[in-house]
Amino acid sequence: MLQLQPQNLLVEEAISQAFAPDYTPVFLDRIITDFDFTTYHLSTPESKTKLLLSISIKCWNDLVNYGVKELLNSKYSKYPFIQQTQPEYGYDYSLYIDVEQATFSNEDEKQQLIAELSLLKRNCFAAPFLQAFQRYEVLSKEQPVDPNNLYGEDSPNNSNEQVLQLHYRDMESIYIKPSNDRVTVIFSTIFQDDTDKIFSKVFLQEFSDARKRSIQKAPQVINSHQEIPLEIKHLEAANTHNKTYITFVLFPRHLSTEDVKWNSITHIQLFRSYFHYHIKIVKCYLHQRMRFRVNSFTKILNRARRDVDDEEHRSERKTASGRRFEMRA
Amino acid sequence: MSQSLKPYLTAVRHSLNVALCLENFSSQIVERHNYPEVENKKTTEVLLNPMMISRNENERVLIEPSINSVRVSIKIKQSDEIESILVDKFTRFLTKRAENFLILRRTPIPDYDISFLLTNYHNEVMMKNKLIDFIIEFMEDVDKEISEMKLFLNSRARFVAEAYLSVFD
Repeated sequence: MLQLQPQNLLVEEAISQAFAPDYTPVFLDRIITDFDFTTYHLSTPESKTKLLLSISIKCWNDLVNYGVKELLNSKYSKYPFIQQTQPEYGYDYSLYIDVEQATFSNEDEKQQLIAELSLLKRNCFAAPFLQAFQRYEVLSKEQPVDPNNLYGEDSPNNSNEQVLQLHYRDMESIYIKPSNDRVTVIFSTIFQDDTDKIFSKVFLQEFSDARKRSIQKAPQVINSHQEIPLEIKHLEAANTHNKTYITFVLFPRHLSTEDVKWNSITHIQLFRSYFHYHIKIVKCYLHQRMRFRVNSFTKILNRARRDVDDEEHRSERKTASGRRFEMRA
Repeated sequence: MSQSLKPYLTAVRHSLNVALCLENFSSQIVERHNYPEVENKKTTEVLLNPMMISRNENERVLIEPSINSVRVSIKIKQSDEIESILVDKFTRFLTKRAENFLILRRTPIPDYDISFLLTNYHNEVMMKNKLIDFIIEFMEDVDKEISEMKLFLNSRARFVAEAYLSVFD
């Protein structure tokens, strides 16, 4: 599994089962966890045909500031059998789905709804990105890109543009800064393990180089292990926890159409998970490799052992005339 | 095999061959005890001069002979951060399985990455030339393994980065 899936598989399965024609309603109470301290709760509090899907996200308060409620409203309010109820206790957002009332004109529509529900976390995280993209569109109209700006310097008006912040993990954050010709997304991340940190340097170097080498369409990736990037210098006082900063520069081509925008959001919000996940995979592989190598060393050492074979021993012991030495029992 | 590796390994092989002339030797300090003399170093008259063979400043072998035991310590090449992590992980992995490697010492001596302790007992149950072969082969393979792991890490990182970035647009 090379790519991480943006949807939650368990939520997807549970909901597609519920919408299946031969569904026998059952009592459900499932707590499902996802990346970045996200928790889903799928339950049937009143009757077996009414599903309550709740989500709790660590940075919900940040998301609310960036209009997550309006976004979710636009996503889910078009379905009459889904109610956006008061959030369940301990959770941030709840959807109440009445399976009996659900009607679909065709199979595609049903699949689309299942996808939208299983992508609930992605949809929540999309709010600040969409806001930044809107701001980028405004800015690019106000101040068209100067073709003479060969070095891609940031225009002076942009430097006091508001930076959107998402504190999505304990010490780690995402910063999004719109500008008139790009949107900059900065991740800060911490490595618990020193080994991970050194491996991450190799990985990040490759992320930066990949664009130069083969994939010109990709966003530019800049990484810094100690220094705070200039865009967020005024927000982060000092790099106290040895954070690593990874900057993605999204160019207009990544923000051109609605589909491309959503594609960019889906991938970029999974970056941290993808990155850490692959570092763990590499460590796991190296471990397996060492295990194999140690086995082969043991084999070589065992070859050195003297096989004390009785038969051989006896044939070695001969008298001067060449006769065997027979032992008395 | 590179130009300087062969003479290095040959030197180690001959020195080991010389050093591995072991005999049983009971402790002169404690009655009925039998220590590897190179480890406790209490009876100085049975200790021989240690030999150090170095290929360059960060690759060397120290051979400490004595009457009934030889200690061989290897410093593995570590040219950067990643190699030192890989060497550290690898030697740790080996020493944790020391009971399978009769001759492996659980902790390396200071400044070295891995140590072997060969006693007269090992010399009795194993063939001397094969034992030397093992140490030489180990030295060759460890270098090879470390550089392969490093290459793997780089190529995997490149592959992962390209897989992630190619999905955009």
